[in-house]
Order: sequence, then C-alpha cells, then structure tokens
Amino acid sequence: MEAAIICNLRVHGQGENKHEEKVQDPDREKHEPKADMGSKTWADLAGEMKIFLWNPEERTCLGRTAKSWGLILLFYFIFYTCLAGMFAFCLYVMLLTLSPYTPRYRDRVSPPGVMIRPYLNGFTIAFNVSQPNTWQPYVDSMHHFLAAYDDKVQEEKNIECVPGQYFIQGGSDSEEKKACQFKRSLLQNCSGIQDPTFGYSRGQPCILLKMNRIIGYRPGAGVPVSVECKVQKGNESHLRSVDFYPGNGTFDLMYYPYYGKFTHVNYTSPLVAMHFTDVQRNHLVPIQCSLHGKGIINDLNSDRFLGRIIFTLSIGK
Amino acid sequence: MLKRRSDVYSVEIYGTKDLQKTEIEDEEEKHKDQKGNKKKKKAEDLKKELDLDDHRLSTSELEMKYGTSIDKGLSSARAAEILARDGPNALTPPKATPEIVKFLKQMIGGFSILLWIGAGFSWISFGIQLAQGVDSAFDNLYLGVVLALVVILTGIFAYYQEAKSTNIMASFSKMIPQQALVLRDAEKKELPADQLVVGDIVEIKGGDRIPADIRLIFTQGCKVDNSSLTGESEPQSRSCDFTHENPLETRNIAFYSTTCVEGTATGIVINTGDRTIIGRIASLASGVGNEKTPIAIEIEHFVYLVAGVAISIGVLFFIISVSMRYKILDSIIFLIGIIVANVPEGLLATVTVSLSLTAKRMAKKNCLVKNLEAVETLGSTSIICSDKTGTLTQNRMTVAHLWFDNQIYSADTSEDQTTQPFDQSSPTWTALSKIVTLCNRAEFRPGQENLPIMKRVVVGDASETALLKFSEVILGDVMSIRAQNTKVAEIPFNSTNKFQLSIHETDDPQDKRFLLVMKGAPERILERCSTIMINGKEEPLDSEKAEAFQTAYMELGGMGERVLGFCHLYLPENEFPETFQFDTDSMNFPTSNLCFVGLLSMIDPPRSTVPDAVSKCRSAGIKVIMVTGDHPITAKAIAKSVGIISATSETVEDIAKRLNIPVEQVNRREATAAVVNGMELKDMSSEQLDAILREHAEIVFARTSPQQKLIIVEGCQRQGAVVAVTGDGVNDSPALKKADIGIAMGIAGSDAAKNAADMVLLDDNFASIVTGVEEGRLIFDNLKKTIAYTLTKNIAELCPFLIYIIASIPMPIGTITILFIDLGTDIIPSVALAYEKAESDIMNRRPRNKRRDRLVNQQLAVYSYLQIGIMQSVGAFVTYFTVYAEQGFLPSTLLGVRVNWENNAINDFEDSYGQQWTHYQRMYLQWTGYTAFFVSITIQQVADLIIRKTRRNSIFRQGLFRNKVIWVGIFSQIGIALILTYGLGHVTALNFTPLRFQYWFVAVPFAILIWVYDEIRKLLIRRHPGSWWDKNMYY
Repeated sequence: MEAAIICNLRVHGQGENKHEEKVQDPDREKHEPKADMGSKTWADLAGEMKIFLWNPEERTCLGRTAKSWGLILLFYFIFYTCLAGMFAFCLYVMLLTLSPYTPRYRDRVSPPGVMIRPYLNGFTIAFNVSQPNTWQPYVDSMHHFLAAYDDKVQEEKNIECVPGQYFIQGGSDSEEKKACQFKRSLLQNCSGIQDPTFGYSRGQPCILLKMNRIIGYRPGAGVPVSVECKVQKGNESHLRSVDFYPGNGTFDLMYYPYYGKFTHVNYTSPLVAMHFTDVQRNHLVPIQCSLHGKGIINDLNSDRFLGRIIFTLSIGK
Repeated sequence: MLKRRSDVYSVEIYGTKDLQKTEIEDEEEKHKDQKGNKKKKKAEDLKKELDLDDHRLSTSELEMKYGTSIDKGLSSARAAEILARDGPNALTPPKATPEIVKFLKQMIGGFSILLWIGAGFSWISFGIQLAQGVDSAFDNLYLGVVLALVVILTGIFAYYQEAKSTNIMASFSKMIPQQALVLRDAEKKELPADQLVVGDIVEIKGGDRIPADIRLIFTQGCKVDNSSLTGESEPQSRSCDFTHENPLETRNIAFYSTTCVEGTATGIVINTGDRTIIGRIASLASGVGNEKTPIAIEIEHFVYLVAGVAISIGVLFFIISVSMRYKILDSIIFLIGIIVANVPEGLLATVTVSLSLTAKRMAKKNCLVKNLEAVETLGSTSIICSDKTGTLTQNRMTVAHLWFDNQIYSADTSEDQTTQPFDQSSPTWTALSKIVTLCNRAEFRPGQENLPIMKRVVVGDASETALLKFSEVILGDVMSIRAQNTKVAEIPFNSTNKFQLSIHETDDPQDKRFLLVMKGAPERILERCSTIMINGKEEPLDSEKAEAFQTAYMELGGMGERVLGFCHLYLPENEFPETFQFDTDSMNFPTSNLCFVGLLSMIDPPRSTVPDAVSKCRSAGIKVIMVTGDHPITAKAIAKSVGIISATSETVEDIAKRLNIPVEQVNRREATAAVVNGMELKDMSSEQLDAILREHAEIVFARTSPQQKLIIVEGCQRQGAVVAVTGDGVNDSPALKKADIGIAMGIAGSDAAKNAADMVLLDDNFASIVTGVEEGRLIFDNLKKTIAYTLTKNIAELCPFLIYIIASIPMPIGTITILFIDLGTDIIPSVALAYEKAESDIMNRRPRNKRRDRLVNQQLAVYSYLQIGIMQSVGAFVTYFTVYAEQGFLPSTLLGVRVNWENNAINDFEDSYGQQWTHYQRMYLQWTGYTAFFVSITIQQVADLIIRKTRRNSIFRQGLFRNKVIWVGIFSQIGIALILTYGLGHVTALNFTPLRFQYWFVAVPFAILIWVYDEIRKLLIRRHPGSWWDKNMYY
C-alpha cells in the first residue's frame, strides 16, 4: 500500500508537468559541435584510395575481384549489345517507313530562304576598284559557282522547258526527273561572259541571288517570284539603280517544283543576278533584297534569311 | 537556449560545415567571454551582477517587499499590473541569425555552388561572344540568368521550408506550454509559466522545471538539479534557510530553468524572464551543438557523389573537347551543359518535402519529432530500451484477479472495459463488493458522469482508484452506495498498521448493526480473522483454508500483482448501539476475529497494443529491453505478458528451478531470457554486462535506477547497436541524450526529459515507437526510390552532350530544357514516391547497418545511371533521330555536321534530300528536337516512376493504384509537358516548339522495355536471393 501511494504521487507529479516548455535545456549547449566527417587527413584518404584502387589482400581492384569484373563486364557487354541492337532495329524500322525521295514533312524548311553569291566569310562585299586583289576573290568565286551553269554543260545535261508554267513530271517517285536548262548566258551582263570581272572592275558588282530548294515547292502559286532590292536602314539615295537578270528579276516557274537530289540529279537552281550599277562609293551601303510572291515570307524578325537577304556593299576607289 | 536551431524540420541537407561555421564562430566569440573560462568567469560575472538580497530577508520582509501574501498570493488585478510592467516571464529570444544571412546560406549550399559556376561561365562566354559579335551570344546570357534563377528559387524554397518548420516548432511549443501552480486570490491555479510575475507564490514538486527565480519559503525534501546553471550534476538540496551570502550558493533560492528532482517546495517569485539568473547569462541562450544525423550524412554523401560525377565528367569532356580542337569557349559551354545535366536541381527540395511529410504523418500517429532526421535514425534502431510503467503498461492499477470461495477469478484489464465477465452470483462476492466499495477513500471528481468510467479522474491513490473503478464498473453508482452506508468512523492506511478500516451504518433499515470493513496486506488481514466466508457462509478458518489462502496469495503474487485482503465484521447490535461513539484513536471496537472474505489483486496491465508491437519489433530484428524500477517479479510478469520474454523462453533461474539444481550450475547459454536486478547490475563489470547483452535475446532490467539506464544504453552501444531509449524522469535525461534516439513521454515525461529527447511520444505508447520505426524505415526506402528516380534521367540528359561533343550531331537537348525536366515535370512525381506504401517486408528486415547500407549505394547509382538511364537515352535518341529523319535529315547526314549546322552564315544548308535550310530553320528544327527529346524523357520517366514504386516486389503485388499520389504525379508530369510543348511552344527563349502528336509515342516501346526489364530484375532478385544478380542489381 505504501508503495502504491508513493507510486501514485510520482505519477501525479509527472502528470502535472506534462507540458513542454519553450525554453530548452541549456545542457545541450555544452555539446561541442561534433567533429566533422572531413576530419580525416589527406594521408588517410590517399591510403584508403590506394586500397580501393588495388587491394593486395583480397586482390580486388576498385572493390571487385577479377572474376567479378569479368562477370560485370560481360553483363554490360550483353546488355549494351542488346540495347544497341534494339536502337538499330528501331531506327531501321523508322527509316523503312521513310521515302528515299521525299521527306515526310517539309513544314520546317518552307517557305524558302535566300542566299547570295559570291559568299566569302560573311555578308559584306567590300573592295576597291583600283586594287584588283580586293575584288578578285569575289570574281573567282562567281566563276567557280557559275561553272555548272555554263551553256554547254546545261545543254548537255538538261532540257529546254516551256517558260511560264511549272514543269510537273508525273510518274513514280523513283523515276529520274528531268531538269530545265538555266544557262549562264541568261544572266547577260552578269554572266561573266562579256565582262569576266562581273562588273567589279568598274565598281558595278554583280551579285547572284538564289532561292533555297524545297522539294515539291511551287513558289508564287502560278505567278513568278520577283526580287527587289532597297537600302536597309540609311540613306536611300545611296542605292540609285539595280539591274536584274534574267527578265525583270524573276524566278521562272518552269524551274519548279524540285524533286530531290536522288531523282532530280542535274537540277540547277535558277538564279537572279543583281547588277548594282550605281551605288554610293566609299560608303557602307546595307542592302536588303527580298523575294515577292504569294506564299513568300520576307518579314520574319527571327529569321533574316527567310525570303530576304541583307548584305553590305562597300565599294572604294 | 530559447531557440532551438531553426531547422528542426528541415534537413541539414547541404551538410557544408563552413556554412555553419560563421554561425558557430559568432557564438564562439560570445562563448569565449563567458564560456571560454567557463564556470569560474561565469560565476564571477554573476556575482558582480547579482544584487540580490532576497535570500537574506525573512518571509514577512519578503511579503512586504513584493506586496504579496503567503497565504493568499497576489490578487489577479495586481498580478496583471505587474505583468504589464515587467512583461511575460519568458526569455527574449537571442538575436537570431539575420534572415538575410540565412537566406544567403541557402544560396550557396550543396549543388548551388555548381550551378553558380555554370551561371558564371555562361556570363563569361556571353561577354566574349558579345565582343566577338556572335549573334547567339544572348542565349548564354539567358542561360546564365536561368541558372541563377534556379539557384535563387530553390534557395527561396529551402528558406521558406526552414521558416515554416520554425513555425511548426513554435506552434508545438505553444500547444504544450509549461504550467505553474500559482496561488492567486487565495486560490491555487494552474497558469502558463509565462504569466508568472514577481511576488507570485508558486508550488513546485519533483520533476518540475522551476518556472522563475524563486525564494523558497517552504520545502519538503526538495532537491534541485542545477547542472544547467553550474554544471554540477549532483542534485542539491534546498530549504528555507539562508545559508550563504552568495545568492548562487544559498539554499533558499531556486533558479529559473533548473529542475526540481524530488520533494516539494513553495516559494515567492523574485525574478522573471530576462531578469532571472539564466536570463542574464545571455550566452546560454544561444547555440546548440549541431550533430549530424545519419540521414544528413547520407545526403551529404549523395551530394558529394553527384557533384563528383558531375565535375569529373565535366572536366573529362572539357579535356576531350579541347583536344578535339573545339574552341575553349565552346568547351566551356559544354561544361556548363554537363554540369546542369548532372545536377538534380530539384532533388534536395524534394527530399526536404518528403521528410516533412513523414514528420507530419508521424505527428498524426502521436510521434512528435523534434529533430526531423531522427525519424530515419529511428528506422535504423536495433535495440529499444523501454520503460515499463506507462509505456508498456497503461500506467494505472487495475484489478486483475479475485479470489473468493476458494477460487481465482480473472477480471478484464483492457483499457475500455465496461463490464466484468466473471461469475458474480455468489453471496461472498456481494459481501466482498461491499467491502471494496465502502473501505475506500477514493472519489471521482465531480462533473464526469458522461465520461467512460475508465477515463474519469479520481482523487485517491492508485490502488484505491483501481478498486473504485472496478466497483463502479460492476455495481454502478458507488457514491450513492456509500451515501446509503454512512461512514461513522475510519482509520486510514498507514505503514505500521498496513490496513485500512472503516465502520458504516448499513443500508438495510431493519439491520441496526454497524458494518466494520477492512482491507490491507493479505497476511495482516488474515491474522485478524478467525472465520472465512465460503459461498456466503462464515466458516471457521482452519489450517486447510489458511493453506488455500496461502496458495492463492502466492499464485497471485507470483504473477507480479499487488494483492489486497478484505475482511468484515457485523458489530453486535447490543454492544454497539446506534448511538455508539467510535473512537479511532483508542480503537474501542474489535479489530480481530473478523471474517475473511477474499483477495483482490491488481496490476498495471499492459497496453493492449503492446504485445503486437513487441512481436513486430522482434520480426524487425529489433531487440526490446525492458528497463524498470519495479520488482523483478512484476517486471517479468509484464515482460511475459507483452512478449518481451516469449512464452517458451526461460531465465537461468527458471531452468534451475525446473531442473532443481543450483543457479550456478545452469548453462547460461541455454537461457534465452534474463531478468537482471539493479543490485546485480551495480556490481557488474562492463564485460559482464556486455556478456549478458550478447548472450540473452530477451532481457529485463528490474529495480534499476535511472543512472543505470545510462550504463545499459552504453552497453548496448558497445555492441554496435543503434539504441532508442524511452524516458520520462529528469534523471533519464543523460540516457536520453546518450542514446542514438531519445524518446520522451509526452504525458508522463518531465520537461527535462522532453528537452533531452529527439522525439516525444504524445500518447506514451510503446506501439507508437514501432509505428515510428516503420515510418523511419519507410522514409529511408522511399528516399532511395526518389533518388533513384531522379538520378536516372540525369543520364538521359547527359548523354546528348557527350554524343554532341563526340559525334558532332546537332544538339539533342538544350540546357534550359533540362532545367524544365529537373524542376518542372519531375518534382511532383518524386515527392509522390514519399507516399509509397511499404513493401510488405519492411518490418521483417533486420535494421539498417549504418556503415554498410547507404542511402545511395553503388548498386543504386549503377543501376540508375548505367542501365535504366542508358535505356532512357536510347529511347530519347530514337525519337530525336525520327524527328530529324522525317524532316529530311537522315541519321547518317547528322554525324559530324555540327560546325556547319551551327554556322549562322550558312543559310542554304543541304539536308539528305537536297533541300536547303536557313540557319533559323535549322535552329527551329533543333528546338523541335529538344522538345521531342524532352517529351521522350518525360514519357520514360513515367515508366521509371512506376518501376521505382518497389525495389523487390512486383509492381502488381504493390498495386498500381494504391498510391494515388503517384497518379497525381504522372498526370502532372504529362500535363506540364503538354503545357510546355503546346502552351509555351511559341516562346523562343524557352526553346520549346509544338510537337507532332505521334512523337509522344516513339519512346513508348522503351518505356515498356524499362518496365519489363525492371520486372525481370525484381523477379530474378526474388527467385535467387543472394545470387550474383541479387548482389549487383538490388539497390
């Protein structure tokens, strides 16, 4: 009974005191912050590392014995071989579904972008008329580029087509397609035939403009796409006259559509030559040449080569 | 001291010690003043500061000084006035680390440094490229900004989480404020301790924390533990006498925040709040040693591992790309990409969230975790040293057995008994019940009629309470029965008599006799009896009946129960007429030759949930050791009834008894169980203790002192065990601190114990500990799953960079896209894994070995990185090549194409079909590739999420739909991907483009492959435990 009473007292005493207070036991502060993990010395670490790299007692390298390494490498060899097999199989199946002549989607590549020739490290064409070595590289580049457009070559490989209408060739996808002639001579003053310097020697440079090839694309929807050039930002009087060849600077419909490089082997992109006959000398003249036609986009801010091209002419004496 | 380190609930994830250092150093400077030369200087400072003279004053002078009265206390109005003047009796929190510093710390910890480096490189390359006039220079600026944003946002999140935890802790401490028993308006009141004011008369008793500085005016065996103040661990006695000039030395002052170890005392509050001695020692108010818990170490280990991988792959490929003649600048950009791909940016936030979720869940189950990482420590517990009283038992005496009519009856001892099933038809029982009812001074507190009987509060000691409740259950309204049998005289229990006696009028109006009832120690009661009641008839007490009594008494005692004997006597009407004046001092009434009626035995019965919990522990490989101050017999009985000592096992003594040989001759190894007496323990060397702990699976320590608990804990730790210890008393604090996880009792626990503990059991129930263990193991498992899930896709993010560098293909995935996976689609799914239910075997496993079983082990990393991660990469690359091929770039064309592809001057780039692309068109295609790669990773992460639900069991056994949160995760993942792809597909800076619908399904076969492969892995692990496969594939 006595024990009972004492026990009871104790229980009550504790019952009264069941509340945790906000203050915490100051004793806790006496603990020193425990030594950190990093307290091992570098020598210890190096020693451990050495054992890990090669443990002579258990004959393990990186924690594995030779047999264990063998097994694990074998496993991974098989595992990765299977994975590679599956990868190859998936790609193979995927490629089987693709036509070798026409890509499945062409939404990312159209409408067409534009490039110019000559192109040598950037879009600034700068030369001094009086110093041939400054413009000779451009001229060489033009000649090189136009070699494929030589009248002879074109006549040999390609056929003459009916201008003003799309040259649509039926038949199966795999059939070889004919290409239309685009003779260099069409470029007249810019053909490099009469003036092998393409006007550079007179400070009237020719620049060729070409539209990116897109399979099946029919630019302009029946009306040929034309080219127009103007000064981009700046004094418009700096660009006084431009001549376009062939025609009035249009891409004839007969060169489209394009059928892809496997069947349309000899296809040569049509060109528009721009002859800058009167440009302000000794000035950087930024010029934007853009395509005009139905379906052509030439004002996309993010893509400055879509339907237009910007380059700078700087012609010195 | 006021403020526990604020990251109670947030894990110390970053583990960077230098972060802590600033704080520690700050404090150390302070400490150097007061702690450096510690006690001596501290004492000196105090002496200087202390102008206390209250200890010299007499009681009446004190009354004068504080305008109070010892009998009446302060008036409430006066107290309110003083409270308004002095402020609450609480310490002002120490100046906390400035919020901005805390915030900045979050900004530079862990992976953040790596990301800052990435951002720095981005800005540098932006600067260089800008100077070179490269168009795409701004991409690097954006990337740097995004990386910085990521660090800042995750930092803000971590900071917010920390602040929230601080609030949680604050709310907990509000929920259970310290109370003080105060005399006000001549009434004793329980008040929150912070309401105390100078002049209040307070009462304290053993186990209490002293609520303010108190000048003692009445004491009874009072001892205080001043260790928090002076460092002396010996309790010091306290009295009302002025013994020393120095207020720190004198005996009649008790100090705020010290603890009363035993006895009781009354005193006048002389200082409150910051004016207390403790309040003046400002240094004590701040700085807590910050020990790293296992989970913090694990997470640190993991951060090192991932950072190591990131840096080494980054540097390796930096070297490779430089030697492949990439420009240095490009190589640096690759390096950024590799770092970003390798660092799981969202993971640390996820881990914190998962741990807080568990802590909340545990709080619901009555485990209040003070220190979040303790949850996990609990999970690795291998020994639990549990108290008996209140933890294993219900902490209330309950009638367990009865003996009358030569027969033992068992009573129901469950927590919610409403009836008693034993046979109550015998007239002896009627007589016995009357004695039980009448010879009892315990009473129910009024106003509890609606409560169940077992829950009602009783004024009276434990045995009487048990008897009162017992009779209330059986007979109904005990108080009215007592009223009908008016008590005319009474001798309360005292230790010389060892009995309690009372004399009543009977409720039978015809019967004018008085009824004398008596209860007490059975042998004393029997001595006073000459007859015994059998089946309602008084029979002479012959030796045979006395023998039966002895047998019953021994049997009940042997069950560890406290036995009481009951007898009565109807006083003859002629000798004791109605008007007779009973005098309890001279005892003018017979106290011998009474009629013995029966025995009742009581025990503090085990909680009904405990046996189950103990058997769970057993299967979980956790040894449960009972440590109690109780008698060995009682301890053993309870241990047996809850299964701590299983039914079949024997102690050395049992074997000796069975074989009838001396104890010394028994082979100790045969005995699985042991009951160790505190007296034996005292004389034991630590080797002997170790031997006992080693040799016996089932151990009970009885008659132990709290100090011995510490020895036991140390013994267990010498065995390499992770020890959890429960405790309630002040003296348990050392053991609680010493243990790997200290568990304090929420109801019975003293404040000191709660402070020393890592966890508070709100319901004092042992079963809750087991719940905690389960949660701890579960969170460890689930964190493994979360990390495995998160690490996997890092490879799918990394491979593109490596292949980009080596094979020079167009970039398959952008750095910003990677961040959208890490911080967008992957976050909710990885938190969802924290809700995963345990795999069925969670409590059948052995406890985690701290050294061997890492959170992120080699198998986990290798399986995630080199198997599932590679599969994901392959799946994503198939999608990538499909997207490019269908747009015109066949895989063969893509190889080695990088330089021209990225040259923004080339605007007639030819694809496999002869079409020509502008630079921007290619970039747009590249972003479509990013999106496709991203979508493929997302789709395969769905499969990854599903396979991570289990590590061993089949998913179908775990149930696909049991964890609903996983599905929330999957839908959120796909939803976010849809929004990014189609909603934000036009925001150029984010590099997402709308994607053709079919590309969502290209990676599906690989997702299925991942699932099937993992099922096969699990099947083989289950089929061939211990095999090569198991060893290498089970993480």
